[in-house]
Amino acid sequence: MNRMTIPIGPQHPALKEPLSFLLTVEGERIVEGALRIGYVHRGLERIFQNRNYIQNVHVVERVCGICSHIHTTAYCQGVEALLGLEIPPRALCLRTLLCELERIHSHLLWLGVLAEHIGFTTIFMYAWRDREIVLDIMEELSGGRVAHAVNVIGGVRIDLDQERVQSILTRLDELEQQIETFLGVIEHERTFQVRTRGVGHLSAEQVRRYCVVGPVARASGVDVDLRRDAPYAAYAGLDFRVITAEEGDVWARTMVRTLEVVESLRICRQLLRGLPGGPLSVRAARRVPPGEVVSRCEAPRGELIYYIRSDGSDRPARIKIRTPTLTTLITLPDQLRGVNTADVPTVLSGVDLCIACADR
Amino acid sequence: MGDVLSALFTLLVFPGFGFLFFCALVFQWIDRQVAARLQGRIGPPWFQPLADFIKLMAKEDVLPAGAHQRACAALPMVSLAAVLTAALVIPINNHATSVFEGDLIVALFLLSLPALAYFLAGWLSASVFSVVGGSRALLQYFAYEVPFLMALGGPAILCGSWSISRIAAQQSQTVWMIVVQPVGFLLAFVGLIGKLKRSPFDIPKAKSEIGAGPLTEFSGRKLALWNLSLDMKTVVSIFLLVNVFLGGSLTPFAVPAALIFGVKALLILLALSVTGVLYARLRIDQLAILGWRGLAPLALVQTLIVILMGV
Repeated sequence: MNRMTIPIGPQHPALKEPLSFLLTVEGERIVEGALRIGYVHRGLERIFQNRNYIQNVHVVERVCGICSHIHTTAYCQGVEALLGLEIPPRALCLRTLLCELERIHSHLLWLGVLAEHIGFTTIFMYAWRDREIVLDIMEELSGGRVAHAVNVIGGVRIDLDQERVQSILTRLDELEQQIETFLGVIEHERTFQVRTRGVGHLSAEQVRRYCVVGPVARASGVDVDLRRDAPYAAYAGLDFRVITAEEGDVWARTMVRTLEVVESLRICRQLLRGLPGGPLSVRAARRVPPGEVVSRCEAPRGELIYYIRSDGSDRPARIKIRTPTLTTLITLPDQLRGVNTADVPTVLSGVDLCIACADR
Repeated sequence: MGDVLSALFTLLVFPGFGFLFFCALVFQWIDRQVAARLQGRIGPPWFQPLADFIKLMAKEDVLPAGAHQRACAALPMVSLAAVLTAALVIPINNHATSVFEGDLIVALFLLSLPALAYFLAGWLSASVFSVVGGSRALLQYFAYEVPFLMALGGPAILCGSWSISRIAAQQSQTVWMIVVQPVGFLLAFVGLIGKLKRSPFDIPKAKSEIGAGPLTEFSGRKLALWNLSLDMKTVVSIFLLVNVFLGGSLTPFAVPAALIFGVKALLILLALSVTGVLYARLRIDQLAILGWRGLAPLALVQTLIVILMGV
């Protein structure tokens, strides 16, 4: 059979962000996939060095358009550790609340994209409609749907009153009912299963070799979650399950992410019901004492690592970001080898890439 | 002179181009509205299909350098002409322009011509997406066409006639074919989804995989004609199913025949829209398996039973 080269990207309907794949196919089967990244490199790590620590809170928020809050959380956490600040518990709880709301919105967005890619437009429409509930809550809390600017070094800048807590709780219940619908479809709909089962398989051994993190790792049976393994913010006092699955395919990833949304809803309820009193932030010095720190958070896509080095001035000497997407990108040539061209969008969306994060 | 005028009226107004054009736009709008409402959206206003058509007609028409210019210009017209000709032998509102023994075969042949044109359009328009889409369209054709033909053959054998008008007329004296051959209707319906490349069998034009498939490189007037011919094909195929399985426009009740016919056609359209909303798109190999291991044997058994019953 003669070989053909199909370009996927940098612009392609299956890609929401620029990324390039050159697929060599025989008939409908993929022989090889060559990956190119770097189309949205913005030189952010250099920009960090030219801004002071307070300005940088707003720059790191713009690393990613979906998980903006987790980036500021990881950054502020690191700088606070360098400053030796004790963060008030109320601030930590609100930070965590936003983290979990963001996880819900990110997972629902992903579910919609996957559904669209397997030609299941209805689930796409439903997932994005229900995601609006979370976006509305976040907008009420912070004034922004995507960039929330909630974190400041030393705490948060938003507050909640009892009335708002109640209103959010009712809306979260509403959302939970919708999630039940999605779980029903994922578990029982035949066409959904035939398109996702056995596609994009990664074994636990491959996951460990490539250091894959987050839901993709958990769907292959590798039980890692920083929220439990190295609790940060308010996670130490929360009761939640870490969802894992054994299959390691796109279906398992869908299941893991959707069940994680349910867990996130539980976490949000616990946080809202047991919100401690007290101040929202502490004063932070402009100059950071010399030193270096590694700050880690569990982003919606997995472990996010910030390395921050300070030389004692008001500007960081170096900030290095390792995003979870980088680890999954490396697995893609492996996942794509031998699959049907029709499954390429499923494989690509199955790992939930965030190219803007990975390129920075 | 009168003959010429009436022939022109038949070709251009009813049941020719004008009527089918109107039906194509209305059916497209209903389909989009139903899907939108089921998906929690608002859907387009009633004039959207017409606006889309006019806008496309006015747009610049470009083809890539490697494409076969003449063939690409001719193919949408071939497709449209085949569909319009098929409409002449299918009785609409109890009356077909041309009735003869074997017009069912002619209609089925004419309705599968657009599939061939669609495949060629992909093959000749010099783009990897359209080549992949074209080969998928051909594979899909083999998967749905055999069960579809056999399913439509069932009523013909039972009625002892290969004329659509006679099959429809026969049903007014006995019962609807959908009652006698529910499996046959189901097969024809599933085949129709494949034939019209509608979700969940929209494999040749899966937009997240291969853009618009065979039509990726088409634009302007050519694309407008393609869209129109595919929409008209939807209308004509639905009319065919109404005649063969739902008894056409014949009814024992004192209701205008046109109304009965319209309601039946809309019911099939509704079923198509709802099916499109309910499922995820299959892969081409999965459709081939469904077609050859599921639909074709069923159609074979159905045909055998019909033949034995006839004897």
